[in-house]
Amino acid sequence: MTKPSIGDLLAGVAASLREAVLPEIPAGPTRRQIQVAISIIRRASRAWERVGPYLYADNKDIEATLHHVSALLKRAKSDDASLKLLGQKMLTALDPRGGAEMEYPSPAALSARNVELQGLLVELQETLHTPSARDFAERTEIVGMLRALFRRMLARELEVNAPEPARK
Amino acid sequence: MSIAPGAAAQALAGRLHAFLAAHVDDARDIRIENLAPITAGNARQTWEFDARWIGGEGERKVRCVMLRKAGAGQLETDLAIEFKTVRELWGSGVPVARALWIDAEGNCLEGPSFVMERVAGTTDLLPLLKPEGATQSRAIARQLAVVAARLHTLDWRRMGVDFLLPTTPETAAAQQTSYWEALFLKHRMEPHPVMVAAFIWLREHQPIARRISIVHGDFRLGNVLYEEDRINAMLDWEMVHFGDPVEDLAWAYRSLWSPQSFSLDEFVRRYTELSGIQVDPETLLFYRLLGEVKHSIISLTGARSFADGRTRNLFLADRASTITAYLQQFLEWLPEYKTKDEPGNQS
Repeated sequence: MTKPSIGDLLAGVAASLREAVLPEIPAGPTRRQIQVAISIIRRASRAWERVGPYLYADNKDIEATLHHVSALLKRAKSDDASLKLLGQKMLTALDPRGGAEMEYPSPAALSARNVELQGLLVELQETLHTPSARDFAERTEIVGMLRALFRRMLARELEVNAPEPARK
Repeated sequence: MSIAPGAAAQALAGRLHAFLAAHVDDARDIRIENLAPITAGNARQTWEFDARWIGGEGERKVRCVMLRKAGAGQLETDLAIEFKTVRELWGSGVPVARALWIDAEGNCLEGPSFVMERVAGTTDLLPLLKPEGATQSRAIARQLAVVAARLHTLDWRRMGVDFLLPTTPETAAAQQTSYWEALFLKHRMEPHPVMVAAFIWLREHQPIARRISIVHGDFRLGNVLYEEDRINAMLDWEMVHFGDPVEDLAWAYRSLWSPQSFSLDEFVRRYTELSGIQVDPETLLFYRLLGEVKHSIISLTGARSFADGRTRNLFLADRASTITAYLQQFLEWLPEYKTKDEPGNQS
């Protein structure tokens, strides 16, 4: 691994800009843009090495929740075609033999998987709120599971992606 | 030297000269003086200048502020609606700057712009949010309640504001929800299941408004022009619309900018005393939740403008990273997830 790491490099660039470049720039719109750029670089320096583990954990959590949900969707009455179809679609997407699992997935692969899983969560919610799904007995339980998942997802994301705190 | 240095300022001074010549009847010897940028905000640029000319009534001097819309940003609004609203509100008892001239298409002033008479005061929010500014902040927040009461009780049917989209007590909440949802669907860069959940909740819990008022849409301390403890003008009417007046109260008390020295409870009590408008707690909760989503979409729109290369304003580059906290607040405030910070406590 080449040192300095990308995170160290970005942190150093931000420090140089703040200590050596910013004092030379007079007050005004240009200076404010440079200050914002420094904040973004600092945030990127903190986030870059956490993104992979964050996406991995997020994907695993969403997959586990959707596994539970697909088991509940199996109980849908035979005339709830949309729910049945969605349950099958989810099982296919969650099947590790489908090739979604890699031994060392890249951040790009993890990100693509995250977007795919997010898409399933959107589709699930939209289906659950169609008139034909209103009477589905497990609907409330699934909505509760999703709310709990969303809280975990946001908490995880905030750990990685929190904006730079304002400098005094 | 009366013109700010720089080619942009020199060019703008020439354009303003031509603009005034076209808009002020019988004006001659027009002079643009003391032209200087005030801010380069996320949504628009602001310049101040003095306009002098000789007309039928002799020599005139008007101290002016010009607002020019940024190329792309975090809002998709029509400057003409803001201009016409401010012009209609002049003299109504709601403090606004006098709207003078508009270049709606941006043919003269390098982008849609309008010119207002300059009003004394500052918009600096920071002194009002510091503990040592509590007395001043409380006085201004109390006046903000007066402004809200005045705005929301205006008899808009007698005003010339029929350019605003009509609404009804039954559709006001749905209209706002749909407006922001359409922007979300247009600008999202990922499926965003939490935002989708938020919109589903909002669609299923829409309150019926007690009345329809002119709603400022960005009603908060940061859009107040004040001097000491007096409000001189309400600014930034770009999100003005007809709607439920409770929407403005909820927005004024988003945690990011709410006046700590004058609680939401106190604000609502004073507002109701002044306006006679009762504020239903469930309606207030709905609009507080909508506020979190609305701010998320504003951030998303700004981030998308930057991601698409339609703006190079770095203030917008990382705006999407703010959305997570807003949505977390949304989930915490949902009635099913009552916590110590649940907005019904209003403290």
